[in-house]
Amino acid sequence: MGTAVVWRTGGRAVGTALFIAVLSAIPPFRLSAQGLSPRDSALHALNRLAYGPRPGDVDSLGRTGVMRWIERQLDFERVPDDRLADRERDFKLLNYDREELARRYGDAQRERREMQREMAESGDTTRPRGAGPMREFRELGGELQQLAVVRAVLSERQLREVMVDFWSNHFNVFVGKGADRFLTPSYIEETIRPHALGRFEDLLIATAKSPAMLFYLDNAQSIAPGAVPPVQRRRPGQEARAPRGINENYARELLELHTLGVDGGYTQQDVIAVARIFTGWSIDRPQQGAGFAFHEWAHDRGEKQVFGVRFQGSGMEEGIRLLKLLANQHATMHHVSRKLCARFVSDEPPDGCVDAAVEAWHRTSGDIRAVLRAIFTSPDFWAPQALRAKVKTPLEFVVSAVRATGAAPDSTLRLAQVVARLGEPLYLQPAPTGYPEAQALWVNSGALLARMNAAVALAADRLPGASVDLDDVVPAATDHAALVDAVNARLLNGTMSAHTRSVILEQLADVNDPAQARMLAVGLALGGPEFQRQ
Amino acid sequence: MTISRRGFVKSGGLALFSLGLDPLFLERAAYALRRPAPSSAVLVCLFQRGAVDGLNMIVPHGEPLYYRERPRIAIPAQDVVDLDGHFGLHPSLTPLKSLWDNKSLAAIHAVGSPDATRSHFDAQDYMETGTPGVKSTSDGWVNRYCRHDQEHADTAFRAVAFGPQLPRILAGTAPALAIDDLQAFGLRVPQEAARDKLTRAFEQLYEGAETGLLASSSQEGFAAIEVLKRVNPAQYQPANAAAYPQGRFGRSLLQIAQLIKADVGLEIAFADLGGWDTHVNQGSSDGQLAARLRELGLGLAAFAQDLGERMRSVVVLTMSEFGRTIAENGNSGTDHGHATAMLALGGPVNGGKVLGRWPGLDPASRFEGRDVAVTTDFRDLFGEILARHLGAGDLATVFPGFTPNPQRFPGAIRG
Repeated sequence: MGTAVVWRTGGRAVGTALFIAVLSAIPPFRLSAQGLSPRDSALHALNRLAYGPRPGDVDSLGRTGVMRWIERQLDFERVPDDRLADRERDFKLLNYDREELARRYGDAQRERREMQREMAESGDTTRPRGAGPMREFRELGGELQQLAVVRAVLSERQLREVMVDFWSNHFNVFVGKGADRFLTPSYIEETIRPHALGRFEDLLIATAKSPAMLFYLDNAQSIAPGAVPPVQRRRPGQEARAPRGINENYARELLELHTLGVDGGYTQQDVIAVARIFTGWSIDRPQQGAGFAFHEWAHDRGEKQVFGVRFQGSGMEEGIRLLKLLANQHATMHHVSRKLCARFVSDEPPDGCVDAAVEAWHRTSGDIRAVLRAIFTSPDFWAPQALRAKVKTPLEFVVSAVRATGAAPDSTLRLAQVVARLGEPLYLQPAPTGYPEAQALWVNSGALLARMNAAVALAADRLPGASVDLDDVVPAATDHAALVDAVNARLLNGTMSAHTRSVILEQLADVNDPAQARMLAVGLALGGPEFQRQ
Repeated sequence: MTISRRGFVKSGGLALFSLGLDPLFLERAAYALRRPAPSSAVLVCLFQRGAVDGLNMIVPHGEPLYYRERPRIAIPAQDVVDLDGHFGLHPSLTPLKSLWDNKSLAAIHAVGSPDATRSHFDAQDYMETGTPGVKSTSDGWVNRYCRHDQEHADTAFRAVAFGPQLPRILAGTAPALAIDDLQAFGLRVPQEAARDKLTRAFEQLYEGAETGLLASSSQEGFAAIEVLKRVNPAQYQPANAAAYPQGRFGRSLLQIAQLIKADVGLEIAFADLGGWDTHVNQGSSDGQLAARLRELGLGLAAFAQDLGERMRSVVVLTMSEFGRTIAENGNSGTDHGHATAMLALGGPVNGGKVLGRWPGLDPASRFEGRDVAVTTDFRDLFGEILARHLGAGDLATVFPGFTPNPQRFPGAIRG
């Protein structure tokens, strides 16, 4: 690892009055060996491991020490998070369990079918828009998005929220697809969150067994060719189900996206073998709670080979064996580590941090905390060229702006809708790839204008879903130079360029009202180029 | 079924007018053989993301194997809108039949990528970068065309994608715009003077402080705002009573039509529509795929009708990353396959034909024994349209590592 840098402040060592005087004037950090100022490193950590600093966070991190703060974030269970816990009580989706939702979904489906039949019979197609039995489940999706945004804003366990976002995206499901409307909440709560900083292998197995993924990538319907379901109770007149076969969808994405990566060296024959191994991994009917079910009758008991390894047709156990094998392939370690580095270091991460992550993965059999620690202690993470090298995603932009201004998300679903309008509707990426870690998708003229609009709206306390009181952050001032300096210090943490400063001052020249001037300065600062970066 | 163009226009024009189609466009489209001036030629690319089932879009109803392989999802012969005795349109595409009849619609079958991947991600990437099998290509073929073709001045609206994000096909160093909605494009400040002031302020912020993607994207945005002030998109009414389908796709097409008519220098427009990944319960004449095709057909028909005679210089091309398996799967759906079908629409199109060499569905001629084989490399189709419609001079730079060969062009553009 070899970072010889002492990140913690060493104020104790020097007790002179002079030093204390200096401390009171500048934040108490020590320059790092890499040439990063301690303030820069605190801001860097808060930008990458968290959703940006709140007012005062950079200073308080300096007091804690950056590396100690990082360790605390990794050891998140010991970080109290009462404020968030209070807010979470507003979310009724956290009170539902999956089985109850499943039954309600089954009922809603039945109701909808009936309504459609009635409408077809009567010829009446004037159903009011937005109403109908599925409405509850559309709202559930909105609530789920909002919960993610609220957690990102409020949680003290910031790194955990960042990792939940990372894995929810890596193991993408689409909340708009059929049963995933009600399966996604439990997917996030029970599959992703408990494993976000656990072991990769456990996370992989949890996603493979999750009803949301089994439905999203169609594995729930994949059965051995010719397999016949046991005779089910049929209503009179109901026909027997048509025979079905294997479905390769999950198998392919498991190899390409979840584990080995597209260059992971597998063939179409491997994809088919993997699909056969997962035949029978399915879901109970909604009326029975839509839980994971292994259907013995649907499983292909023939022998399969996946890159030379034999699987005997031993039922569900061979799927678990395969997932463990995949989790510990070098290609998987490299693919996932590189993606983590693209999230935390830079869009095109240097080999050094990727190698360090892979080494930690090998050593700890995929302990995600150890892999992250390797990244956060690698010189590449702290290299000056990594600073502000990444453009914020829409989620990161909105949440960081809300945090920077000390704003509070309200109890509506609107803040998540702002994130969606900027181009990142959460859980609504239909493609199994999830959203990319690189900036190219997020930076275009339309999206940038949308960010400027959001910034101006937030500064005017008109951003839907968040209320802000700028008095708490930047005092209104008649002296424009002092105002802009305060905006720079409090909101941009000193990153404002001389150019930006002069443009904002020029804009303020004919503004006399201090509140108007502050609104304009804050809007331009948050919508300007510095705040798009992290 | 086949009638002469002249006879059709004479006898059928009136009948079509009663369907709401502008006979003026039909007549001009039928006779517009002259290549349009480069400055007015427009290409509209529509990406069907998720891999459309080409076999149920352009149905080989003359082939018994088609029905044998798809007992539950084949389009029954009596529902197919016959085109040439062998192929026919999915019934949801009925609104396009009159465009076929007036020779402004062609289908290209068995088109696709030389790369064998069945990954959506990779295959879309290859189709957008124009470099199948090469993942490291950072820009898209449309962007490379814009960069190398100097005949065109780079206006803010030369290359526009409709959607919240700039797609790969337009990514690169030439200016390109992503617009979610023309009406909402720009800063939202009620008073015009205040809006202009704020716009100018942000423009200055990005001008001086940044290089790279943030700078170039913001500059393109501000240039576009200037132009849109003149166009006034809120006032737009489609012509000829054209009715676009509800939803994002219809709205994108409407706004593309609007930009074309506003003469803002649009040369290439891009929009996409999803929902084609029909692994389960694909449906037949009705159902999932039918609903998606209905939106496509209604959208294209409305677009042609709205543009009227402007269609003589417009080519609309649909594309999709690959096709789907010939045989239906166990879930009354289809899995990822190889070749698919694409549609070309517009005055310059060599319409009324199914183009491309049809390999047939016979097991011996299939790709890897299961999928429709590719007989037209998509770069030969894209290359032909760039060269013969937009007048591109240097296709080798647009498609590096590939030399589009006029001998292999499918003949989508009239000679």
